[in-house]
Amino acid sequence: MAILFAASISIAMQTPAYRAPRLKGTMRPDLNGLWQALNEANWDVEPHEAHEAQPGPAQFGALFAVPGGPGIVEGNEIPYQPWALAKKKENFDNRFNRVKVDDVRLEPLDPEGKCYLPGVPRATYMPFPFQIIQGNNRIIIAYGFANASRIIYLDTKEPAVTDSYMGWSVGRWEGDTLVVDVTGLNDKTWFDRAGNFHSDALHVVERYTPRSPDVLWYEATIEDSKVFTRPWKMSFPVYRRLDRSAQMLEFKCVPFAEEFIYGHLRKETNK
Amino acid sequence: MKKIFAVAFFVVSIAPSLCAQTKPPGAAKVWRTPWGDPDLQGSWSNAPTTPLQRPAKYEGREFLTSEERREQDQQTAIGTDKRGAIGSDQDVNDAYNAFWWERGWSDGRTSLIYDPPDGRIPPLSEAGQRRLAELNRVNRSNEGFTSNETYNGPEELSLYTRCIIRAPLPRVPTGYDNNYEIVQAPGYVAIFQEQMHETRVIPLDNRAHLVAGVRQWLGDSRGHWEGNTLVVETTNFSDHASFEGSTKNMRLIERWTRLADDRIDYRFTVSDPETWTRPWSAAIPWTKTGTLYEYACHEDNYALYGILAGAREQEKQKQ
Repeated sequence: MAILFAASISIAMQTPAYRAPRLKGTMRPDLNGLWQALNEANWDVEPHEAHEAQPGPAQFGALFAVPGGPGIVEGNEIPYQPWALAKKKENFDNRFNRVKVDDVRLEPLDPEGKCYLPGVPRATYMPFPFQIIQGNNRIIIAYGFANASRIIYLDTKEPAVTDSYMGWSVGRWEGDTLVVDVTGLNDKTWFDRAGNFHSDALHVVERYTPRSPDVLWYEATIEDSKVFTRPWKMSFPVYRRLDRSAQMLEFKCVPFAEEFIYGHLRKETNK
Repeated sequence: MKKIFAVAFFVVSIAPSLCAQTKPPGAAKVWRTPWGDPDLQGSWSNAPTTPLQRPAKYEGREFLTSEERREQDQQTAIGTDKRGAIGSDQDVNDAYNAFWWERGWSDGRTSLIYDPPDGRIPPLSEAGQRRLAELNRVNRSNEGFTSNETYNGPEELSLYTRCIIRAPLPRVPTGYDNNYEIVQAPGYVAIFQEQMHETRVIPLDNRAHLVAGVRQWLGDSRGHWEGNTLVVETTNFSDHASFEGSTKNMRLIERWTRLADDRIDYRFTVSDPETWTRPWSAAIPWTKTGTLYEYACHEDNYALYGILAGAREQEKQKQ
């Protein structure tokens, strides 16, 4: 079993022979398009079984139940420091509970439930499409969830000046692979709905490699010495959306999250 | 020859209603992407202090005199650096100094609106007036400390206070973060709006708009090139956001034309027969600006949290 797994990893990591078409007028591969991951990582990046909807099936039946998934973490397990593993469980337990998050706010913890900007790399494997608009100097990735966006700078190597949800992205080409160094990430996003988390020491290196006309291989190296015992990797393919009228529609989720966040501050008679 | 014609056309058709200081482009510089489209890429700001509508005192005049312009810029400089006594309401509640503001300067005109020629929004229908009044009421209610609003729940606050959108399209200058990043790809123009961190992904392939039943906060945009000008039509707006009293059936046409390395001529035309007696148009210079940073508004919305918590606390005290 272990040998089989190691073999499949080494195949995944081989440089693909495929050569992508060039961005017209340039020597660079053309990564433009509407893409989407097809996996269960948004529920849990680690391998997991299917389980019933939370808080329970009474209200929604099988709707919102969690699909099982083999995970996207290389080696299957995130190498947490012991305290951090405990914190992950606490995150999960309080994902829907109103707890004190600071001196002012009393809120459930799940950042997706609150419609927070999803962070990197999570934005890539949420069940929403994302569009790469690749120009000659910069790239914008527009994500479906929360209408998050990020700019990838190919024309500067300046470091992040401050922390943010989507981070500061500096890109470069290694052959046909777009390598993006992401720093300046804050500690307010999670990797999934299972409470997997990181600190503001997070450093992500993403690699986007064209595999075929309609597949990019995505790999992210996750480094955070405050939370993990060593750097770890996730990888999965993203697929081109080939639907005839494929278009990313708005998902401005703030109004959907207001009751979740502010419900206890609503006037009683209005409830 | 073609190039000469294009420049002549440009000077005649675009220059006259532009701000006084804009030099007609002397050299026929053309900005092109590697794949041959006109190139609008970069970081841009649309922050002039020129008001959308012409103030009554400038009636009949398109341009400020140089003294008036100097005076307006001086007022801007003073207004953005006015701090109240330390600890006073003004000091605590208001954006108290220039650090918060990101205002440009007058562009020399008396209004951004150039059509109708009086520089004013055309008369509104009765329903349009009602919509605009409601919009203004909600926007004012954000200034919570002086109002009698009830604040029963988040939906009673403005879209900006709720961090849903900064403002509907088309975007006119506001107090700060008037920044946009344009990146182009073959067949697409993407316009990242610093507030609220969304990207308008605009296809250029003449595809049909979304079906009429699908509505979006920022509508549904389709673009094409007319010479060196990007022309974008946006429809499918939502009932939840109104531009100056418009309905969801407003039709927006926007045009971007590169004038210089550091300047784009942006203009828009809005039409909505249910709201205005005629279409109207405005021109706003976009100028090159520095790096854009993330505007994550909702995630740290202590204002909304405090407004609601404060209102509940006041109710308790009244009981």
